[in-house]
Amino acid sequence: MKSVMPDMQPMNQTVQETPVFQVLTEDQIEQIYFSALEVLERVGSRVHHDEALELFRSSGDAVVGDDKRVRVTTSLVERALKSYPRKITLKGRNGVRSVALQKDHVYFGTGSDLPFTYDRKTGERRRTQYKDIVDAARIVDYLPNFDFFMSHGIVGDAPNPLTYDRHQFMAMLEGCTKPYVVTSVDGEGLEDLWKMACLFQGGENEFRLNPMFVAYIEPISPLTNDRTAVEKLLFAAEKGIPAMYTPCPSSGATAPATIAGMLVQSLAETLLAIALCYLKRPGMPLIMGGVTTVMDMRTTTYSYGAPEMALASAANTDISKWLNLIMFSTGGCSDAKVLDEQAAIESTLSNLTAFLSGANLVHDVGYIDSGVNASLESLVMNNEIIGMVRQVGKGIKTDEAHLALKVIDEVGPGGEFVTHDHTYEHWKEWFLPKLMDRSDWETWNAEGAKTMLDRVNDETQRILDEHEPQPIDDNTRKELKKIIDDADKRHSK
Amino acid sequence: MAVDLGQMAELLIAGKVDDVEKMTEQAIDDGMDPSDILQKGLIAGMDVVGQRFKACDMFIPEVLRSAKAMGAGMKQLRPKLVASGAKMAGTMVIGTVKGDLHDIGKNLVGMMFEGAGFQVVNLGIDLDTQVFVDAVKEHKPELLGMSALLTTTMPKMGEVINALKEAGVRDQVKVMVGGAPVTEEFAKEIGADIYGANAASSVDKAKEVLEA
Ligand code: B12
Repeated sequence: MKSVMPDMQPMNQTVQETPVFQVLTEDQIEQIYFSALEVLERVGSRVHHDEALELFRSSGDAVVGDDKRVRVTTSLVERALKSYPRKITLKGRNGVRSVALQKDHVYFGTGSDLPFTYDRKTGERRRTQYKDIVDAARIVDYLPNFDFFMSHGIVGDAPNPLTYDRHQFMAMLEGCTKPYVVTSVDGEGLEDLWKMACLFQGGENEFRLNPMFVAYIEPISPLTNDRTAVEKLLFAAEKGIPAMYTPCPSSGATAPATIAGMLVQSLAETLLAIALCYLKRPGMPLIMGGVTTVMDMRTTTYSYGAPEMALASAANTDISKWLNLIMFSTGGCSDAKVLDEQAAIESTLSNLTAFLSGANLVHDVGYIDSGVNASLESLVMNNEIIGMVRQVGKGIKTDEAHLALKVIDEVGPGGEFVTHDHTYEHWKEWFLPKLMDRSDWETWNAEGAKTMLDRVNDETQRILDEHEPQPIDDNTRKELKKIIDDADKRHSK
Repeated sequence: MAVDLGQMAELLIAGKVDDVEKMTEQAIDDGMDPSDILQKGLIAGMDVVGQRFKACDMFIPEVLRSAKAMGAGMKQLRPKLVASGAKMAGTMVIGTVKGDLHDIGKNLVGMMFEGAGFQVVNLGIDLDTQVFVDAVKEHKPELLGMSALLTTTMPKMGEVINALKEAGVRDQVKVMVGGAPVTEEFAKEIGADIYGANAASSVDKAKEVLEA
């Protein structure tokens, strides 16, 4: 092999090419972990589900109190922890295995179920409808920096609150071909969504190899597990459906006011599910989660823009990596009532920290109004933010070509680099802004003096006008409709 | 030495729950006028808390500690006030509707009303319509508060209002609703009397309606 004499020979050095971002040391993670185990042994967690209680009772590794409080041994938790897969690859209905959930692979997506939509035509907040979900789905299908889709809004015009999840999933399927994270009403709802997904993936076993979605499930902080949540969890375990059990504590209200305390409590909530799913079916693809934030002490708002949310989420990701669990985290969201400067600032901070921490699924991108209001424009703006964040994450390469000694030598003092081959080759490694304006004053005025918001609005409209996702074939559509109709019939009685 | 009601107000502002309770007891034992204890001690303190909260000099954890102190004082004082026929805030029943497990917002509202001197009966979450109706019959509250955080459970609040009508008790009570997807417009639609966007503002609104 012909060897090229390098400009400089590095010796025995570790080359760090990406930014290092860790908010907890290993010792701190251990402190939090052991504290969480202590919570499970001493305090326990309440479980409102008979089968789950029976699983714990008969395990010999848990004590179930009269008040349905379950206390679990560390031995069970640690056996369970070893059983979870470290990699889950999701395949969209476009047939692409595009989301490889494994250490330090970061994917961005929307949140779900926003009751209101900011209507850009009228400037009003109105209730979200089926069509809004399809529109959000189309936008996410188009935007390159979004990797997965949650419903963004809730289908407010569904015929029955008990089956709205099937209609919502249909809207998601129509508009977006990327993998999903789905919310469901109960176990039966999740089963229907899973059946709908299996139509695309070629059956139950194929779905296990190529899951199309992750099921979103939550405990009730502090330390409570309601019937429907556990029902979904056990169904997911049984069928091998990837699922997350994501605590949503608000520091100072439903969790301690210290971040460490909130992390301890939410880890205990997670570990309970870790133990339970293991008892049901070892190895089911369970994902760790957490929307860990503070309650604003002036307004009582559950904050989606607080720096504490960004920090606590990054800490949770540190913990997840240490536990070898895949992490579902939060970013790109805001407490701002409309898409404005506040939304941009808050979204940027949480996107950046989520990315640098190496969370795997970063959700709630595009939420405004503290998880109450949907904005399609926010999705478009966040696409640009994530692009910039990913650029930072690429870090700095310091190999021979990138150190560019030869080029510096060739150009020499007083020369220019613009027309050099090296530039021609390498400038494309940069982030190419799509919505950020870097023009001069004159040009900017000549082009209509548009603000970021104007450009975001234009781009949103353009995508809605132009982007058509790959359609669903008629046969599949019929079968999907049948599942939905059956559910509506069952629940109309 | 007679109880210093000004000091009692200060302790309440400082959120000293036990001290306020003890002091109220002491004041009652000393034979002070219950109305005076309420007005010059407890309410005087809470008024300052309210003003400071609005001026952003006090925050929720402090306000709700003071509210707790108010509640502790009222527990002692209420029987005396009833006996003397003095004017005071009444009872509020509050709960989250069927199918809905969101808890904390409703609890904070309850605590805030406790701070306003109400006797608060917190029924819990995921409540059947009948539970609300029965509670109205049993406690005869001035206020019924319902919380719904889901668009899918919001309609239950309308069902409760209809059930109150059917039970013939709708006129006995002012109905107040709240929760993230609930709006003023929706509250009107289902025939509620008050919409509360957050814990603090709903107290003001309720007082206005009850005093009207
Ligand atoms: C925390 C949270 C949870 C926690 C609740 C834990 C607990 N202990 O309460 C958990 C994880 C359990 C949860 C579960 C679910 N949630 Co949730 N949740 C939230 C979240 C993020 C914050 C709520 C909160 O605690 N706010 C802080 C408190 C202090 O404020 P608050 O509740 O709004 O109350 C204030 C006011 O609203 C008002 N108020 C409230 N009630 C009342 C009553 C009266 C009488 C008055 C006057 C005023 C009043 O005063 C309060 C104090 O200031 C909201 C988003 C949001 N911003 O609302 C979603 C949200 C409400 N949830 C949502 C959803 C979809 C769900 C789930 C269905 C998810 C799922 N598919 O599993 C489940 C439903 C479970 C069930 N059956 O109820 C949606 C609702 C969408 C919709 N359909 O309308 C929201 C909007 C988020 C979203 N976009 O997805 N959730």
